[in-house]
Amino acid sequence: MQSLALYIGFGLVTASILCIGAVSFTLQFGISNLFNLAFGATMTAAAFVAYVCNSAGLDIWVSLVLASLSASLLSFLLNRGIYVPFRRRASGMFTMIMVTLGVGVILQYAIEAIWGADNFSYNMAAGRAVHVAGMLFTTTQLAVIAIAAVAAAGVHIMLRYTRLGKAMRAVAVNERLARNCGIPVKAVIDGTWLLSGALCGVTGVVLVMDVQVLNSGSGDDFLILIVAATVLGGIGSAYGAMVGALIIGVVSEVAAGFINAQFKDISAFIILAVVLLLRPTGVINSIASAKEMAR
Amino acid sequence: MSGAWQFYVATLIIYAFVYIIAAAGLNLQFGLTGVYNFAFIIFQAAGAYTTAVFSLGSPGAFSGFQTYILGLHLPFPVPLLASAVVAGVLGVGLGALTVRRLRADYLAIVMLVISLIATGVVTDYQGLFNGAAGLALIPQPFSSLTSSSIVYDWLYAVAAGVICALVLLAVRMMNESPLGRSLRAVRENENAAAALGKNVTALRLLVFGLGGAIAGISGSLLASFTQAWSPSSWLYTETFVLFTALIVGGTGSNLGPVVGAVLVPVVLAEGSRYLPQFGPPTLVPSLEWITIGVVLLAFLWFWPRGIVPEPRRVFPPASSSGPHSPPRARGLSVKNPQRDRGPSR
Repeated sequence: MQSLALYIGFGLVTASILCIGAVSFTLQFGISNLFNLAFGATMTAAAFVAYVCNSAGLDIWVSLVLASLSASLLSFLLNRGIYVPFRRRASGMFTMIMVTLGVGVILQYAIEAIWGADNFSYNMAAGRAVHVAGMLFTTTQLAVIAIAAVAAAGVHIMLRYTRLGKAMRAVAVNERLARNCGIPVKAVIDGTWLLSGALCGVTGVVLVMDVQVLNSGSGDDFLILIVAATVLGGIGSAYGAMVGALIIGVVSEVAAGFINAQFKDISAFIILAVVLLLRPTGVINSIASAKEMAR
Repeated sequence: MSGAWQFYVATLIIYAFVYIIAAAGLNLQFGLTGVYNFAFIIFQAAGAYTTAVFSLGSPGAFSGFQTYILGLHLPFPVPLLASAVVAGVLGVGLGALTVRRLRADYLAIVMLVISLIATGVVTDYQGLFNGAAGLALIPQPFSSLTSSSIVYDWLYAVAAGVICALVLLAVRMMNESPLGRSLRAVRENENAAAALGKNVTALRLLVFGLGGAIAGISGSLLASFTQAWSPSSWLYTETFVLFTALIVGGTGSNLGPVVGAVLVPVVLAEGSRYLPQFGPPTLVPSLEWITIGVVLLAFLWFWPRGIVPEPRRVFPPASSSGPHSPPRARGLSVKNPQRDRGPSR
């Protein structure tokens, strides 16, 4: 059982990165009813900002903060400049998916036009190996897990106990009712995009810190797992995203270790397919049922 | 024309036909019925893989070079028809699992996820269709007819053109028939359609099956022309390109898919071939994708009905002088009765 603990450890690292991304992705869906497929490209953009800062001699953790801030700004601007105007034209969810896909494609290939298809990596200390209860981590990975834990706890505290969080939940469930109750919906939406954009940036950078490879497709490849975790947990629900991330992260690494490396993604997808079959709106579907997504 | 040019033009024409067929299938689902099938490309893939395993013969012949299931060796029309059937059945099956239970726009998300799952499974599970490397050396259907490869390409273009014409004709007939009216009713207001006795779920499943079969035909034609098919041929971004083609051409109209398929995947993607080579090798393809994204956003914002918009179907008010006209209630006037508005998305 020594090796089981080892693989669960790997899974926890993947799950942590997934968790930050999935929470951010699902907040955007909840608040704006938007399946933001430009999310992956935003992650990549943030990772490249961190790369540029890092190459200029800044410490990787400082670069992480700067990248997160720029992703926050980028997400905010995309929402205000493109998504909101399209939404105001009463575009349905389908048009909005196409819009975010279009934005994502433009963003991703703009990055590729600048940096090409080459691989990059950060200039950082790998950190030493640490054994925790049979699991093996580098110090960097422990930091990633800590960041995810802080992010998850922070989102939980915010949603439960702050006025902004309560307002966000209200807007997610019923925007019109929230507005009629005097909630400044526009400001709440702006705040959500700034916050989720920052988390999106963090995801992009810690992903590259963990896998140590960065190219123009990094974020988009990882977005597939984020989408899987989000839909598995129940889209729109922050807690669902955390559960989904944990399941997808741990199961995929354990399957990769015990069966075959081929089964890493398949196992995640099989779980997702089974859940979708039984419960198309995911594990925790409070937001999904509030939005009446299933019949 | 020189030989190289002939190859090039014939290839472009075949690609155009394949894209037109696919766009027509998508138009049936999305343009006419309002089914947001974001997994459309997996039906094209199903057709392509079916054609491959129905014509490649036993995998043992490749001495471990590629592994796949089935491995039949059947003459020309059989793989094509099998592709249509397999993709159509897959369409009905996936539709039956999802259509009844999900609201139309959430269906788009679930179908997108299904597309990701399918790509992931086929890529990672090598025994199915040779994993990420994909299948190669798919036999050419008419290779026994001619030994000249240029003549072969033109022959193939003609065959693809005939099949394309048949598909367009079939979709057009459906569009203009009472069935087409029912499908548009489902798109515009499913509750009203259901109240008038239309079986909304059955109609949606029908277009899932028919659209899937059409996509399967396009995949079959493409795979047996390029003789190779791998997961990178059917990433979900390909569905995005087809949707862009439809939106640019005009959703719901008969000519829209033709115009869109020729403009977006063929002209935009192939036009860059005439640009002088500049910058690093990835620059020109990147600019192509950026152009497609910008074109999509521009059309969604400025011309959401596309270049060839769906005709507004306005029925003349029933005249009271006609012999069979129903009696009109006095004092009750309905403005614009039965006006068929453009797709409300």
